[in-house]
Amino acid sequence: MSLLLRKASCFFNLLCFASKYGVLFFWLNALIVAFSFVSAHTVQAQNADQQKQTVSGKVISQSNSQPLPGVSISVKGTVRGMVTDMTGAYTIEVASGEILVFSFIGYNTIEVSVGKQTEVNITLVEDITTLNGITVISDGYQNVNNRNFTGSAARVKADDIKIDGVVDANRMMQGRVAGVSVQNVSGTFGAAPKIRVRGATSISGDNKPLWVVDGIVLEDVVNVSADQLSTGNPNTLLGSSVAGLNVNDIESFNILRDAAATALYGARAKDGVIVITTKKGKVGTPIISYSGNFSSSLKPTYGSYNIMNSRDQMAVYAEMERKGWLNYADVSRAADGGVYRKMYDLISNYDATTNQFGLANTQEAKAGFLSRYAQANTNWFDILFHNSFIQEHSLSMQSGTEASQFYVSGSYYQDNGWTIADNVKRYTANMRANFNINKKLTLGLTTVGSIRDQRVPGTLERKENPVEGSYDRDFDINPYSYAINTSRTLTAYDENGNRESFTRNFAPFNILNEVENNYMQIKQVDLKLQGDVSYKITKDINYNFVGAVRYVKSSSEQNVRENSNLANAFRAAASSTIRQANRFLYTDPDNPDAQPIVVLPRGGFYNRTENQLISYYLRNQLSWNSSFSTLHAVTVTAAQEIRNADRQNAFNNGYGYQFERGGVPFTDYRIIKQLLEGNFNYFGMGQTYERYASYFANAKYTFRDKYIFSATGRMDGSNRLGASRQARWLPTWNVSGAWNVDMEPFMKNRAYLDFLTIRASYGLTANTGNATNSSLVLKNVSTRRPYLDEIESAIRIDALENSELTWEKQYELNVGISTGLFKRLTITADFYQRKQFDLISAIRTSGIGGEILKTANYANMKSKGLDLSIGVSILKGDLLNWSSNLIFSYTKNEITNLRNTPNIFDLVKPEGGATLGGPVRGLFSIPYAQLESSSGSPLFTNEEGVISGNVYLQSQEVGQLKYEGSVDPTITGGFNNTFSYKNISLNIFITYQAGNKIRLSPVFKNRYTDLDAMPREFLDRWTLAGDEKATSIPSILDARYFSRLSSAYPYNNYNYSSARVVNGDYVRLRSIVLAYKLPTTFLQTIGFKTASISLTGSNLWLIYSDRRLEGQDPEFFAAGGVALPVPKQVVASLKLGF
Amino acid sequence: MKKIVYYQSIAVLGLLLLGCDKALDVLPDNRAQANSPAAITELLVTAYPQGNYMAFCESMSDNVGENYGAPTDKPENTKPYFWEEPTVREEDSPERYWSSCYTAIATANHALEIIQQLGDTKDYAAQKGEALLARAYAHFMLVNLFSKSYDQASAGTDLGIPYVTEPEKVVFGKYTRGTVQSVYENIEKDILAGLPLITNQAYEVPRYHFNKSAAYAFATRFYLFKREPAKAIEYANLVFPDGNFLSNMRPWLTTYANSTVNEFEALYTRSTDKSNLLLCETNSYWARNYNGYRYSFTSEIFNEIYGSNPTGGDWIYGNRTFVASNIVYFIPKFREHFVRININASIGDGYTILPLFTTEEALLNRAEAYTLLQQYTLAIKDLNVFFSARIANYDPAKHTLTVAKLQQYFQTNNTFGACLQTILDCKRAEFVHEGMRWFDIRRYDFPIQHLTTTGEQFTLAAGDPRRVMQLPQEAAKLAELPLNPR
Repeated sequence: MSLLLRKASCFFNLLCFASKYGVLFFWLNALIVAFSFVSAHTVQAQNADQQKQTVSGKVISQSNSQPLPGVSISVKGTVRGMVTDMTGAYTIEVASGEILVFSFIGYNTIEVSVGKQTEVNITLVEDITTLNGITVISDGYQNVNNRNFTGSAARVKADDIKIDGVVDANRMMQGRVAGVSVQNVSGTFGAAPKIRVRGATSISGDNKPLWVVDGIVLEDVVNVSADQLSTGNPNTLLGSSVAGLNVNDIESFNILRDAAATALYGARAKDGVIVITTKKGKVGTPIISYSGNFSSSLKPTYGSYNIMNSRDQMAVYAEMERKGWLNYADVSRAADGGVYRKMYDLISNYDATTNQFGLANTQEAKAGFLSRYAQANTNWFDILFHNSFIQEHSLSMQSGTEASQFYVSGSYYQDNGWTIADNVKRYTANMRANFNINKKLTLGLTTVGSIRDQRVPGTLERKENPVEGSYDRDFDINPYSYAINTSRTLTAYDENGNRESFTRNFAPFNILNEVENNYMQIKQVDLKLQGDVSYKITKDINYNFVGAVRYVKSSSEQNVRENSNLANAFRAAASSTIRQANRFLYTDPDNPDAQPIVVLPRGGFYNRTENQLISYYLRNQLSWNSSFSTLHAVTVTAAQEIRNADRQNAFNNGYGYQFERGGVPFTDYRIIKQLLEGNFNYFGMGQTYERYASYFANAKYTFRDKYIFSATGRMDGSNRLGASRQARWLPTWNVSGAWNVDMEPFMKNRAYLDFLTIRASYGLTANTGNATNSSLVLKNVSTRRPYLDEIESAIRIDALENSELTWEKQYELNVGISTGLFKRLTITADFYQRKQFDLISAIRTSGIGGEILKTANYANMKSKGLDLSIGVSILKGDLLNWSSNLIFSYTKNEITNLRNTPNIFDLVKPEGGATLGGPVRGLFSIPYAQLESSSGSPLFTNEEGVISGNVYLQSQEVGQLKYEGSVDPTITGGFNNTFSYKNISLNIFITYQAGNKIRLSPVFKNRYTDLDAMPREFLDRWTLAGDEKATSIPSILDARYFSRLSSAYPYNNYNYSSARVVNGDYVRLRSIVLAYKLPTTFLQTIGFKTASISLTGSNLWLIYSDRRLEGQDPEFFAAGGVALPVPKQVVASLKLGF
Repeated sequence: MKKIVYYQSIAVLGLLLLGCDKALDVLPDNRAQANSPAAITELLVTAYPQGNYMAFCESMSDNVGENYGAPTDKPENTKPYFWEEPTVREEDSPERYWSSCYTAIATANHALEIIQQLGDTKDYAAQKGEALLARAYAHFMLVNLFSKSYDQASAGTDLGIPYVTEPEKVVFGKYTRGTVQSVYENIEKDILAGLPLITNQAYEVPRYHFNKSAAYAFATRFYLFKREPAKAIEYANLVFPDGNFLSNMRPWLTTYANSTVNEFEALYTRSTDKSNLLLCETNSYWARNYNGYRYSFTSEIFNEIYGSNPTGGDWIYGNRTFVASNIVYFIPKFREHFVRININASIGDGYTILPLFTTEEALLNRAEAYTLLQQYTLAIKDLNVFFSARIANYDPAKHTLTVAKLQQYFQTNNTFGACLQTILDCKRAEFVHEGMRWFDIRRYDFPIQHLTTTGEQFTLAAGDPRRVMQLPQEAAKLAELPLNPR
């Protein structure tokens, strides 16, 4: 605690600290005086009728023992009435013998006759017939009955959307909530999916929704931008802070979509807000729940992919050999090689003892050698994947009295790995205690922690190579990428059952050996302490304080052992040819004529990256809640909050670490010299600091529960824009209203109508963009000069001052309708229109000021959409029930002002690019023309409008490119059906998306090696002149023709051409669940309260997708590295309650 | 009571806002702060243009011809050969050089602004001097590429280039081109203000900064280009305190003569070579491409430049001229410093170190200035210093240049012409691959011809407007600057 205080005082510095709290109390004082003046008036008015007694009490919900705010209490036959406050409490004047009517939408109305008693506590029972149309919306600051909620928000209970076996709360949202789109660009544990609320709102920003857990904004440990999510880089595994949450602890999700709903987050809410409420202890007997999931991820099979078997593959190699590719001279000198390389090595390997060559240089001997590999048909999926076993245990205990409630939980998750290269363990703990000290004061204390220990294949960062039009990742050993990209002629084991190596980077390579010897270990500790205080200053005025501190530390260690290919590549120097070609060797610039030498003579690498986050959050909130009879209710809330997040990223690369020599490093000084001369450092550390301060006030007025008006104003300050004081503050605001039409007298007698609400809101939201140069930004660098004695430390201008810098902003209009009909059907529909402006984007300037590309607030965008959810109870009976739920979201955005100058590669890459008039990320293609009749190589309309194989990808002439469509789907949703018969229930959940385009995997190359696996469509490739009339699959080039291409890359261009784009539409059976609830009568005899077992199949069937995808997952970006698709999974679950 | 509470709360709210405003003063990241002489020195490390002018200057000049065997067919090389505007804005393009000059200028301007804010005290004098010279240099190079050569008669009306003296603080700053005269006046002002402040002690690696010698060499070039030969001589005399050029020249006859290709590459742009008065690292692939471009140094041009000279001796240059497999002739002057984007990556950024000012240039500039003043004896004296370090087996008895020898070699009695021609030839021979020839072609407005292997001839006549490069089109459009006439 003292440490905490010290940190806190560092942050605020003493003066600010003292003034803030001193000041706060003055402020509170002021408000209290002001408010009590008002309340005194109301009390006086009510005291006029002296013969009545005061009755007070509390209204709770039966289902979860939570207090119900906003319950209407009226005295039957009069106009007198009251509404319960935030804690469900009420006080009302009644005469003895009068009847109190407690009514609340979604609950059965209760009438109570008042006698002499002064306290009447009520438990309302949910009216199940109205389905889930009525809920309490939590915006993270307060809970509001959604009939009184004027914004567009959706609440889903965690239990309703949970898919057993899915441990990341991020992914649970897919297809469950209108307006939320989730794309699983990678399925690896910890990797965040691409999640959007109502689509993108920024061109250069993250577009990530704000996550709020129990009122506290959840900061990301590392900022992974939208485009980075699909890179497969190791830091993507830290992208999801939510991955540390035990989903069994989550009570509900509230998705806040429009300006009114997100009002209280103002300047960070542009991308929507997802509020997670975790479980609390309840009053009553202790409940102990256990939930266990036992699942298996199913091994992928070649059946679902389009890859040549080894016989076809070998036939292709034979063609390559004929075309001059696999000749002895080239293959034996190449960095990488497969079976041909092996054959040539044997042929040239003379054994003096037996007086023989490894293989005779005859046609027969060669054919014999190759035939083993032609028949190998290696199943890489079998070798690299297994049907994994995953177990998840979660135990929670809760108990509570009126005075105190506790909720404690712990969970353990273990996945022994879908591939042989990964596994993960996660432990979570959650302790939450609430104390009602007296009628005025309540306290809450929460401690949440999680530990993660994960192993993934060793991986380096992916590089974009715009020259050739490709992405490079050196030493990629991602098992999935390996399996789909590696020739099936290669074998993992030789005839004797020993591991067989081929050549990569001039060193022996065997994938099994490599995943054992090159791996990353990711460890993360995430701890949050949170305290809540609520104090009822007067009957109507409530003061809330929330404070939290969160500390996350994660380390990722890449262990590259001495036997790995990566380490051995640094030692490959067998011949002078290899020495000249091996880029991992060192040439001393001081000795220009020397041969390149090995600078990693022993050991491997121990590379460590650490990310750390410390965040603080403080909020003071005052609310005044009052009702004047049943006619008027007013709520005024004012609050002040402070957030800060300090992040640190550090790395330290160890060269020559000897894993097999007790961990003693053996470092050749020249490797450090090489690094420094190459302008690299072997260690480094960077820090970022985020500070936010906000003030806001919200007022809400409700008339007869029919008309609700709400208005919010907010002032946010952030240090993110830089040192300028003008840029940092931003006011935001919104107004909204709701009309509960069904409460109108003219609607009273319509029995079919359960409820009908019309809502509208308009307001301004914002976010800080990706620019921090409200004042000059200077960066320390070192000069890029070849000799160490000439290198200087330098400061360069990173960004010129932009005195016009401001926040990215958005106006949003939302009109919504919610209705319930026939006690069977609920429909919620929200239409929205958004105008984003002052968006940050790169803009070209004359360069005369010193910076040719600036980031400035000038881009505009508009978007519109529809969020629709329909719930219907099709069958309702004592035994048989069938309910169905359809979620549909449509969103479309268009850039209305943008002056960027993208080059061809920016627009044709799979992630797409931004263009004026297009969506936020649009996919373009190089227009494919035809195959050349002489060589079968592809031709395109290039940047000069000429039909050619050569397209200059860095050209800014993009007019000729073909626009394919948006990369982000315009339509997303889900369709959920639950059938139940007695104690058995069956749930079928389907997700879908449509309206986007996908670029197919880049499988074509100018030249192939004997390592490459080829898709089966290669069987239809161009082979003879004239084939170009029948096929669009290019040939395998002739080596002589290839040499004439020089700097043209027609085959890479083909990967980015219109011939390689398909529709992204899909329908997927996301999950199917069969559950059985054990009968209560039986359970009682064995001492359980509840027990159920269920069987879940998730991700089992891609019902519809573009056929041309040929097994490629429409959501997944096969980027290698740590990215894996979401596997098919079968889960058995057991849930017990004691 | 109510009123007091009201005022109280307003005051308190104000204080609260102020307090938090202070909390927001924390900078969002580890950005650098330039607030000490040492920090400003570091800032000025980047006040030199990190772009390269050599690729397009060589390509426009008569130092190159078509090498049909050279595969590298790139717009930054092919377009300038026909005096067209390159369509690219990557490394080695005029547009990249343009923006890198202005980046250097912005850096210098920021340094000057910070120095001003810190009170412009004596502590910052050296930094101020360097900033002024760096600013002058970048503008000088720009005006000599994108405007007409200085000509007293028309400089007052010839379009200049924007001379920037203030840091830009808005997204789109407003600029005007001014005239060649006004640009030269500004450059002169900065040079004169900066020169006395320069001290070599201020620098960690003096050869990468405007040290005294480099600053005087710059002043020499400036006044020569401004047609004030007397001043050029005055500053050339200051380049070396002892006036000894010879001992500071490139060791062509000794170290260079015995070096291998790799050694030569390593030596030529090294700061230990005393001839390199000012070096600069540039983001450029020139070191990779100068002997690979289609339009590059050919055998014909090699013979033209190194075939003969008035001394009667043989140039040493041929001794270290090599032929690449693509038949491009080259002197291995550059070595690429390739900075990978990651330690294991195969892609990255190429850097080429450029000698911006050398002893040889200062010496030959002085010789030229003497010639312009018709002081031929002194000019020839300087030329003899030069030749003594460039003629193989130099023998003063045989190779010393005289007016008579000159007149005989050129078959003329026009000493001025012969002397100037010799100096320009020496410069051409010395600075092959270094882009310097283009500036001489511009200054003396002599016609040149480019040939292609298919026999076509392209001529750049005297007075041809293409001698002035067009401003980068988009930059001109965005800044609303008038284009050069075509």
